[in-house]
Amino acid sequence: MTPLVAATSTALLQNALVVGAMLFALGLVGILTRRNLIVMFLSAELMLQGISVSLVAWSRHHGDFGGHVLVIFVLTVAACEAAVALVFVLQAFARTGRLDVAAWQALREATLARSVDHALPASDAEPQRWPRLSTAGVLPPGAEEPSLEREHV
Amino acid sequence: MNAGLPELTPGMLVAGAVTAAAASLWLLLPRGTESRLARWLGLVLGAAAISGFIVTGRRLGGLGEEAVFLTVSLVAVVSGAATIVTRSPVYSAIWFALALSGVAGVLLVLGAQFLGVATIVVYAGAILVMFLFVLMLAQPSGLASYDRVSNEPLLSAVAGAVLLGLLSLSIGRMSADPTCCAVPAKAAAVSDAGAAATAVAADPLAADQVARLGGELFGRHLLAVEVAGVLLLVALIGAIAVVARGEAALEDDRRFFEGGVRR
Repeated sequence: MTPLVAATSTALLQNALVVGAMLFALGLVGILTRRNLIVMFLSAELMLQGISVSLVAWSRHHGDFGGHVLVIFVLTVAACEAAVALVFVLQAFARTGRLDVAAWQALREATLARSVDHALPASDAEPQRWPRLSTAGVLPPGAEEPSLEREHV
Repeated sequence: MNAGLPELTPGMLVAGAVTAAAASLWLLLPRGTESRLARWLGLVLGAAAISGFIVTGRRLGGLGEEAVFLTVSLVAVVSGAATIVTRSPVYSAIWFALALSGVAGVLLVLGAQFLGVATIVVYAGAILVMFLFVLMLAQPSGLASYDRVSNEPLLSAVAGAVLLGLLSLSIGRMSADPTCCAVPAKAAAVSDAGAAATAVAADPLAADQVARLGGELFGRHLLAVEVAGVLLLVALIGAIAVVARGEAALEDDRRFFEGGVRR
């Protein structure tokens, strides 16, 4: 494969580093501010993606495989992190029924005050309308129409 | 240039762009209120911030190269922003998949063929699907209250913008400093065949890239590969051990989460 841009292009290095910095900053904002545990982990993965882009850009600039090898280990560690983190998220959901990070404030220091949520105004988001397939065949006896519909995902 | 106005330097452009980015993120992040005006204003400010970064970015030399790089990095950054501002976590995960494809495109432009494909296969194919499984298991129907508010959105947006501004300013200074990122001239200095072969073996852009990356990984970094294997095993066993604690521990934990008291 012929390279798209010349190998020692500093311009490509700088542009890729800025893209990596943007992804990292977006992930940082997400993990600082969002309250859903799953979205927080997605933000952490976004930060890892920013790091990967920077590492590969430096690797390209220096003409060696160091950055590539590090990114492979980043992938490995991200897979481990996702496995362990999702177990904790599921366990927390089984105990509290929420994916809220504030559910973990039971772990706070005894001297800290409990954070209280303010009342939210009602959401004006319209309910989603999902496409429905027409029923094919006959329902088995004793089975009712299951109502598995969600208003939102 | 008008004498009364200071000249528009790249530094000022970057400062303006990160300010617009912070305002845009603050307007777009869930804050409990939903207003159409804030959403449109946030989108316009975000577009302004991205245009500022495109203007200050360096030219790559050819229109085709610039178009490809711009497209893939725009996909990555815009979907990354959408990942963190979307209310619904399911849509967040789907935006993240799009961000991953953008990142894979950037990696391919940078010449990392194996990593571009591995990002799609491992992240989008395995890790993201696992996230979606957990979401579908654990997500209550309807938007939960914690999806509609954020913790301190203004402070976090400002923190992210300050970080981005400092990073991009120092990255922009690199081109002014000739000593910062000079590449050691190894390919030019070598004369004998053995050293030239070594230079080719280390060059990611030469032919047989994936084979030589494998050689590097399992040659020079063999110990690290073994340690990574142990890490994967530990994560697997740890995940199973946390799940298999039994019903008594579950009851104990429920009491803890409700009353904040550990038995």
